[in-house]
Amino acid sequence: MDPLTWTGSIAVLNPILLVAVVAMLIIAIVNIAISIFVTEGPQQVNADGTIAARGGIPGLMSLLLNWTLMAVIGLVLIYAALGVLMGSNAGIIGAMSQRFLPVWIALTLLFALSIIYKRNLGLYGKLFDSPIGMIGFGLVMFWVFTGIFSAFDLIVTHDTLTQISGMKNKVPGTPVRGAEDGEFGWYLLGGDNLARDVFSRMVKGAGIVVLIAPFATLFAYMVGITLGLPAGYRGGSFDTLLSFLANLILAFPVILLFYLLVTPEIVQTGLPQYMAVVLFLFPMIFAGVLIYSRYSTQPQKCYVWMAIILTPMVLVYLAAINAPGTRIDFWPLDFFPMPAGILVVFVSVVFVNSPTVFRIVRGLTMDIKTRDYVAAAQTRGEGPWYIMLWEILPNARGPLIVDFCLRIGYTTILLGTLGFFGLGLPPESPDWGTTINQGRKLLQIYLHPALPPAFALLSLVLGLNLLADGLREESLKD
Amino acid sequence: MTKQDYEGPILEIDKLSISFFTRLREIPAVMDFSVAVQPGEAVGLVGESGCGKSTVALGVMRDLGKNGRIVGGSIKFKGRDMGQMSDDELRGIRGSEIAMIYQEPMASLNPAMKIGRQLMEVPMIHQGVSEKDAYQRALQVVTDVKLPDPKRILESFPHQLSGGQQQRIVIAMALMSEPALLILDEPTTALDVTVEAAVVELVKELGKKYGTSMLFISHNLGLVLETCDRICVMYSGEAVETGSIEDVFDKMQHPYTQALFRSIPLPGADKNSRPLKAIPGNFPLPHERPQGCNFGPRCDYFEEGRCNASMAIPMAPIDGDDRHWTRCLKFQEIDWAAPMVLMDQKEKGDIGKVVLKMENLKKYYEVSANALFGGGGEKKVVKANETLSFEARESETLAIVGESGCGKSTFAKVLMGLETATDGQILLDNRNIEDIPIEKRDTKTVGEVQMVFQNPFDTLNPSMTVGRQIVRALEIFGIGDTEDARKQRMLELLDLVKLPRAFADRMPRQLSGGQKQRVGIARAFAGDARIVVADEPVSALDVSVQAAVTDLLMEIQREHKTTLLFISHDLSIVRYLSDRVMVMYLGHVVELGSTDQVFSPPYHPYTEALLSAVPIADTSIEKEHIVLEGDIPSAMNPPPGCPFQTRCRWKEQVPGGLCETEMPPVRHLAEGHQVKCHLSDEILARMTPVIKVAAE
Repeated sequence: MDPLTWTGSIAVLNPILLVAVVAMLIIAIVNIAISIFVTEGPQQVNADGTIAARGGIPGLMSLLLNWTLMAVIGLVLIYAALGVLMGSNAGIIGAMSQRFLPVWIALTLLFALSIIYKRNLGLYGKLFDSPIGMIGFGLVMFWVFTGIFSAFDLIVTHDTLTQISGMKNKVPGTPVRGAEDGEFGWYLLGGDNLARDVFSRMVKGAGIVVLIAPFATLFAYMVGITLGLPAGYRGGSFDTLLSFLANLILAFPVILLFYLLVTPEIVQTGLPQYMAVVLFLFPMIFAGVLIYSRYSTQPQKCYVWMAIILTPMVLVYLAAINAPGTRIDFWPLDFFPMPAGILVVFVSVVFVNSPTVFRIVRGLTMDIKTRDYVAAAQTRGEGPWYIMLWEILPNARGPLIVDFCLRIGYTTILLGTLGFFGLGLPPESPDWGTTINQGRKLLQIYLHPALPPAFALLSLVLGLNLLADGLREESLKD
Repeated sequence: MTKQDYEGPILEIDKLSISFFTRLREIPAVMDFSVAVQPGEAVGLVGESGCGKSTVALGVMRDLGKNGRIVGGSIKFKGRDMGQMSDDELRGIRGSEIAMIYQEPMASLNPAMKIGRQLMEVPMIHQGVSEKDAYQRALQVVTDVKLPDPKRILESFPHQLSGGQQQRIVIAMALMSEPALLILDEPTTALDVTVEAAVVELVKELGKKYGTSMLFISHNLGLVLETCDRICVMYSGEAVETGSIEDVFDKMQHPYTQALFRSIPLPGADKNSRPLKAIPGNFPLPHERPQGCNFGPRCDYFEEGRCNASMAIPMAPIDGDDRHWTRCLKFQEIDWAAPMVLMDQKEKGDIGKVVLKMENLKKYYEVSANALFGGGGEKKVVKANETLSFEARESETLAIVGESGCGKSTFAKVLMGLETATDGQILLDNRNIEDIPIEKRDTKTVGEVQMVFQNPFDTLNPSMTVGRQIVRALEIFGIGDTEDARKQRMLELLDLVKLPRAFADRMPRQLSGGQKQRVGIARAFAGDARIVVADEPVSALDVSVQAAVTDLLMEIQREHKTTLLFISHDLSIVRYLSDRVMVMYLGHVVELGSTDQVFSPPYHPYTEALLSAVPIADTSIEKEHIVLEGDIPSAMNPPPGCPFQTRCRWKEQVPGGLCETEMPPVRHLAEGHQVKCHLSDEILARMTPVIKVAAE
């Protein structure tokens, strides 16, 4: 088989794309320059009372900018569509696009459904009114779907650990020597220095990030909310103590903390596991208090809900903290063995993120507790936890949702950092941080093994930030 | 820019129309609005929120933002069309010839700059005077706005002054360049009544002294009566009636003006024999205005096919009056002198046995200097409530009157159980509850003592449906055995406050202010409350809605024999609905008695000042002008002796400086009428009524 070029037979589109991108950049720069010097007049109005398009040179420029942007996006979509149809005939781009077919289908379905029903979907639906938010959401969901499908061995072309002789450090598009029928014929993004497929490793790496980052952030939120609400609501010495502890953790150098936590000697003392015992307790406390405060007037309902929600949580909790052959090994029903490395990474990420969440929640609580509806709840004799969880927390959700998105981004970068320093995860793990670290060693000769995971990390975090921006913008428009 | 001399009207607005443009549609905010302000004249602009009165002011300042545009008519300032002026010319006029004073004084002052600097900036920018001259001028103006120790004031930062002082500084700043026109946008709404009275007095005086014309924007008819020569009533973006104060107040020619006057509690209105008449319906949204007359759907004189014909209704002059115009097609047919059709008179509820009794209630707060680690440092005691004693009976309305910082909120907190009393007793049906915090009270007690809050936009949880919030209250009070029973009861409560049942599924943001307040009332009555503390329940609502909500409270009270503790600073409404009145000042009850006793002499000096400060929208009322000097002292360090002695005008009448050294005792002047004052009986007997109805 022949080596693949980047675009194969659709190379005719390349000059067009180039022209479109260059035109867009020039127009964008000119646009910015104009906006500095030209002040805009009042808005023009149509006869029917609606706002007319802006006239004059600034109006023309922004119109041009929109057109070129549309052209670029359209061209990119054409590349993807042609790739799906033509596969490896359309070069590396085409072949990759074809491999991502399940992701494209899932994304199309998700966007179509969301846009159709966006008026009934609350804040999530409003996201589809903001182009920025849509782009961000698209990027995020691309990696989420990639992560999900890669778990079912879709998308990936080769096993992430298989080394194929002769593929060491080969450039993207190199055909696999002696590929049999049913085997994929190329290393799409080349091979790394152990002759493994870079493309498959990047795709598999998405699975690890998509699994850990949101859950770790969610756990950090549970800890932060469960402690931040009473600290802000009650105040006093409880607040002073917790805030001091939070400051202490925040002041400790994060990387050093990680090094300490993953040192084998410390792992052997069981410290990360004990931390997991404490930190994983918070979601249960949160759920328990949430149910209790809501149904405390109807004990019957309260018990039923508690049983329904808490039983599975307790089972998962015990299974999660239990690991055979370590300090905590007492639970027979360990139905999912969590790899020790993942647990350590998870615990450290939750541990360093929760103080920040704590501070945000505490601040929001202190603001909202002065509202009249909180006073109204107090005067009808509501318990403090009901007020905190049902009167205050729902009204703090705006900033919290935005921060949640941003925080998944930080967590993703943190995971990359951990992998890069080889902390926690095993060295053969395909996660992006580890892969970048391995590619780094030969960076001056071979660029291709390090760049794909780096771009993946970049696009996911960028997507999360854009999503947060879009959410913030739309939530303010209410 | 040099100021040229000019004869003729300072400001002429002719058929002005202002619209805001959105992506969806054009929203007309002001339509066909004309007014002229003569030199030295004060014109009041009155209307409910959303009627476009502030938009007019912004239109004059040409500060409509990106989306707003003047779509018709003209604004002439000193005979020159402002539409023809260049940006530079406009900038020269703003702040130098036209000055504006806004509602929130703190927001108009730069918190990082000393007062003196901020004041001096004005003439230095507009007239290019030297720093020294500017300082002299600043000193002069600060003296003019009657601030004590002007030199010290110039050296201080805005946050070091009280709200009243800040507003005086804003006025001083506006006067720095001796403007020809002063626009005041609700300048006193954020201030206490007695401070408001002083500021209004000052504005009037300065207007005369400097010969400034004024455009006074307010929702308060009484305030306009006191300050202005002419008035313009606005409704839904249009001026509906304009004329001199006397003509509009006494010979009104528009149904909206009439309805407005009938919905505010003037002396003579009474909750039983002459109840207020609320304007039915709701204010139309700007893009949902009806055809023809905007007020049509809410008007008593509405005529199908005529008032809602598609043509715009022009302003019509009224013969014989000076520049008196009305926007009504039928004004010549309506018999304006016809007496108001009386609403059904209500039976006065029988006042029953004593339900609540307070005896020498005291609430002190300890404020420690170093709050971080508790303890240590010296402690200060704030006496929020000092020896409060009174009793409240079944189906009685007891009004608690006082300005901010008088301790009424603290009292409410102690009663509700959010705080425990420092000393004294609260007896609810002869049970002591002063030491029982709310967590330890049984549900029945909690349900019996409930509260209605002031701010309608804050009283409901924004992320829970209306129905859910009421059901939650029912759950907490243990009412109804099943979900369905509670739901049923919730719907009945919505009926009780006259809201459609469909509102149960709405979110609070979909409701108007008055509707939210009704939900708040429904929630308070969920546990069959016997004592309801209403903390200024209507002060944040528009006039036409106020009457409806007040009436609703009265009706529920009659039905449920509720004891209503009505906290307010608005003496007009207090006189209208309360049976007894308690006046508080700095934590002390200074006067307590039946409404008639409190509203007629002998008064406590503070009550007297309060009565004089409240603006009343009735030209036949003559008031004695008593302006209190200074501000309310801080509760952190109250003055020695009588708390009111720093502002009292009767202090000289008490021999031996007793007021400054000794706390006055409680004196019983008549059955149920008590006063805390050193004044001798004969001086008290010499007091004359503050409010007099002029002989007709």
